[in-house]
Amino acid sequence: MVESEVRLLPDDDRSWRLEAYLRRNGYQAARRALTTMSPEAVVAEVCKAQLRGRGGAGFPAGTKWSFVPKDAAGPKYLCVNADEGEPGTFKDRLVLLRAPHALLEGMLIAAYGAGLRTAYVYVRAEYAGLAARLDEAIAEARAAGFLGGRVFGTGFGLEVVVHLGAGAYICGEETALLESLEGRRGQPRLKPPFPATVGLFGAPTVINNVETLAAVPQILARGADWFLGRGLPGDGGTRLFGVSGAVRRPGVYELPVGTPLRTLIEVHAGGAPDGRRVKAVIPGGLSAPVLLPDEIDFPLDVASLARAGSMLGSAGVVVIPDGTSMLDVLRLTARFYAHESCGKCTPCRIGTSWILKTVDRLRRDGGGPADLDHILRLADGIRGRTLCPFGEGAALPIRALILKFRGELEQAAAR
Amino acid sequence: MSYAPSPAALARIEKTMALYPEKLAAILPVLRVVQAEAGFISRDAEAWVAARLAVEPVRVREVLSFYTLFRRAPGGRATLQICRNISCALAGAEDILRFISEKLGIEPGETTPDGAITLVTAECLGHCDHAPCLQVDGVDHGPVTRETVAAIIEELKAHG
Amino acid sequence: MSGAGTVGLTIDGRPVRVPEGTNVLRAAGQAGIAIPHFCFHPGLEVEGHCRMCLVEIEGLPKLELSCATLVREGLSVRTSTERVRQARRDVLEFLLAEHPLDCPICDKAGECLLQDYYDLHGRHAGRMIEPRERREKKLAIGRKLILDRERCVLCTRCVRFLRAYTRTGELGIFERGLRSEVGIFEGRPVDNGYSGNLVDICPVGAITAEDFRFKTRAWFLAKRPSVCPHCARGCAVSVESVRGYPLADGVQRVYRITARENAAVNGHWICDLGREGRRDIEDGRRVRLLRQGAPASGLSWQAALTEVARALRQVPGPDRAERVAVVLNSRMTCEELDLAKRLFVSGPGSGRVFFADRRPGPADGLLLTADRVPNGRGVLEAGFEPRPADLDGLAASRVLLVFGTALAGLHDPREIARSFAAVPEKFLFAAHAGPLDKLVDLAFPVAVPAEKSGTYVNIEGIRQSFSRAFEPPRGVPAEGEILIGLVRSLGLSLGDLDAR
Repeated sequence: MVESEVRLLPDDDRSWRLEAYLRRNGYQAARRALTTMSPEAVVAEVCKAQLRGRGGAGFPAGTKWSFVPKDAAGPKYLCVNADEGEPGTFKDRLVLLRAPHALLEGMLIAAYGAGLRTAYVYVRAEYAGLAARLDEAIAEARAAGFLGGRVFGTGFGLEVVVHLGAGAYICGEETALLESLEGRRGQPRLKPPFPATVGLFGAPTVINNVETLAAVPQILARGADWFLGRGLPGDGGTRLFGVSGAVRRPGVYELPVGTPLRTLIEVHAGGAPDGRRVKAVIPGGLSAPVLLPDEIDFPLDVASLARAGSMLGSAGVVVIPDGTSMLDVLRLTARFYAHESCGKCTPCRIGTSWILKTVDRLRRDGGGPADLDHILRLADGIRGRTLCPFGEGAALPIRALILKFRGELEQAAAR
Repeated sequence: MSYAPSPAALARIEKTMALYPEKLAAILPVLRVVQAEAGFISRDAEAWVAARLAVEPVRVREVLSFYTLFRRAPGGRATLQICRNISCALAGAEDILRFISEKLGIEPGETTPDGAITLVTAECLGHCDHAPCLQVDGVDHGPVTRETVAAIIEELKAHG
Repeated sequence: MSGAGTVGLTIDGRPVRVPEGTNVLRAAGQAGIAIPHFCFHPGLEVEGHCRMCLVEIEGLPKLELSCATLVREGLSVRTSTERVRQARRDVLEFLLAEHPLDCPICDKAGECLLQDYYDLHGRHAGRMIEPRERREKKLAIGRKLILDRERCVLCTRCVRFLRAYTRTGELGIFERGLRSEVGIFEGRPVDNGYSGNLVDICPVGAITAEDFRFKTRAWFLAKRPSVCPHCARGCAVSVESVRGYPLADGVQRVYRITARENAAVNGHWICDLGREGRRDIEDGRRVRLLRQGAPASGLSWQAALTEVARALRQVPGPDRAERVAVVLNSRMTCEELDLAKRLFVSGPGSGRVFFADRRPGPADGLLLTADRVPNGRGVLEAGFEPRPADLDGLAASRVLLVFGTALAGLHDPREIARSFAAVPEKFLFAAHAGPLDKLVDLAFPVAVPAEKSGTYVNIEGIRQSFSRAFEPPRGVPAEGEILIGLVRSLGLSLGDLDAR
């Protein structure tokens, strides 16, 4: 576990207020950035720190900021993606619960670096209580002069609006988030143009995940080299790894990028409870292809997970114990994607539901190997054929479940 | 039957609309205010919101029906939202759901005949380290057991 | 075509050069390579969600949208690799899995993209064992439009058309995922002057026209190009009829009039008034020659013209300018107007020329113009100074020739009757029955614009020539034939007209 004085998350739910945050040297990084650094230097520092997006796609945050056109007239926006909804993921919730000011400070720095004056925090509907807390934190920060106009006596200011979603997983996809924020159905947009040039209300827009922004103050406080040194080359810092399912101590663990998956599960989360064994591990939220117990010996970083045939995604690790019916897991996976498909692209709209119908039929009437092949074919018909990554997110875990648990699934279906 | 929000709700609507450069952007918060007050969003309320946001009512229907939070018919005084995706499923969410369903005598999506409780399912409430979890009118509970759930229901019935 | 403003690329190994800003889908089309698509429509904003038009682009790992990819110099595109074909098959399989098998009773059958693409790119056996979604199959969504939600492929062309073009936005997409469906808000049906375009652009049989439903099959329809005569825009239209099934009086039955693309005039659309123009062809036609309002059986129009010629000749030459009155109209073609001018203004039958046309209506800011006649510009270009027909002026004449029925709509019927009663000899040439029929000595039937060839000059000065979409009923001439016949009956040839 990361030493407490440099932790992003305090241990308890009560230290979220400004006073406590200031005791942890809160807003010092933003003050330093705004009063002593140029916006370009801020962006360069974050680029150098190799801070990868913590939302799922893993795109370097500094690079994203650098795409915003400097000379564009009119408003530019920062959108914070707090639409955490990937099953098995609950890290951003902890940031909002325990460190809302770290998020606000990170937003301030990002906005300064990319030249943005207005921020919308898109919080999923299910986190309404946390949104209220964030509103309180914003009020505190405004009162202290950390938000609003002329922050730290500089010419820079940032207005922050908390916007609640209304129940749609797809709004976590950045362009769907923009559509939703603009008051339309949360359906992904065609890219290009990319949000950095044509985003919210047609203006240049940066969209960052909660945890990504909350990590930014550390970089400015201690330097890019320090941050990078805590993670891996190309993937800096610590991350918040959520562990749930069959472990003794489910929770969020703040650990260096590159911590071995097995260590996270067995050491930090305490491993499977007495008498249980690990049957499978989902390493990065439900969209991440499932791994077998002998496939978890690698470091947790974006590149390593991709090499392992899965993905780090939102770093929500779900440990599946023995005795779990993988047909049930397949069903809830299929149900999730059928339920959350926005319906825009043909393959995803019809394919996800067709898969669900097929799995339901297997459970109800039984079936054979051909039915599993059929599901694989349907997944292949979705994969790589949709506007947004949701299609991939639906197809890959379903494929992995069938490929890795084929024997069990065939048996369960044959009954 | 036409719809009009109360002065207090109208004030909240005006306030939220001021936060966006375009009226339509306020649709989710405005619908939320309408639903919080009326319990659901009627056809007339849709038309009212459309007029307020200066769009065709069909645009309101589009948005309303896309998101799971909104109701187009009255629901119970309390809403019980049961998480049932992977982490909660591994912790017995389906059993909890069945238990609640039997106890209330309703299926997910339905409301008890006395109008006290609406039961709905959720795909992931993001409370995976407290699985199985549920939300009662936005307040998290978890990990829950048959016993704690029974207590929650009694409480709701008593105060409903 | 090369150089500035154009881009060269390769599609399936064929070099193609197209204007900058063209998308790959259209560029391929210009090279004769059809890329299947549902949501793309050249008149609408690109959405890219049907996923049917995916192609391979050299250097890119995934299949790319040909609708959303603009051409770039040196781009190399492949549209028929196994990967592309598999993607098409998959999209078709998905769409067909949730599509009803009611082609035998579907009005779109025969011109349905889903059918066509299945034939070209699908040809798979159905693998859907699970039940399809059941949806509303006969939802009235306004203006004679019926929506079948089971057939809908959610291309959203209809929704986008109403938002971008008419800006009336009556349709939307409700729900999400597989439950997504097109709908209206209760009490706000599709109600604008361009609703028929929704039927044209629907790639499948989801939106059909109430007045076309179950009337015929698409493959029986002969689609003939014509120019719409119902306002001064002169939109390009297809007049669609079935050969061999005329109405009782020999008039061709027109099943529908649809939009034909003409970028310079109407783009991809036409208004509902133009579509309703089929009524102008079918309804109220008078295909018989009448004498004093009663059928003149056994008399051909050619023979009857000698009576017109005799009447004209009886007016002494010097008096003709004063005692012969001719009422023309702006539905006549440039060729007809030219003949009329040579005959009645400068020629042997010369007299006073008036015009009577349908009253103007409101322009709608899109295609429909205030002028409700197709050739007002042509009248001016022919050198006429159109004077409205005043009844006193007509009453003063000895011989009156009236082309068209519009006069009857412009004046009080009693005033018209009084005016006509004062004229010793009067003749009518009109396509439709009307109150004037009984007021004249002879009422000749004539063709409607769809039944003739000619040229119209539209409101912007664009000259459009068109050919007859189909034959007029037997024994019914066009005004042009009447005019030529009249020249002959006067014992002249066309050459004589200019000699005078």
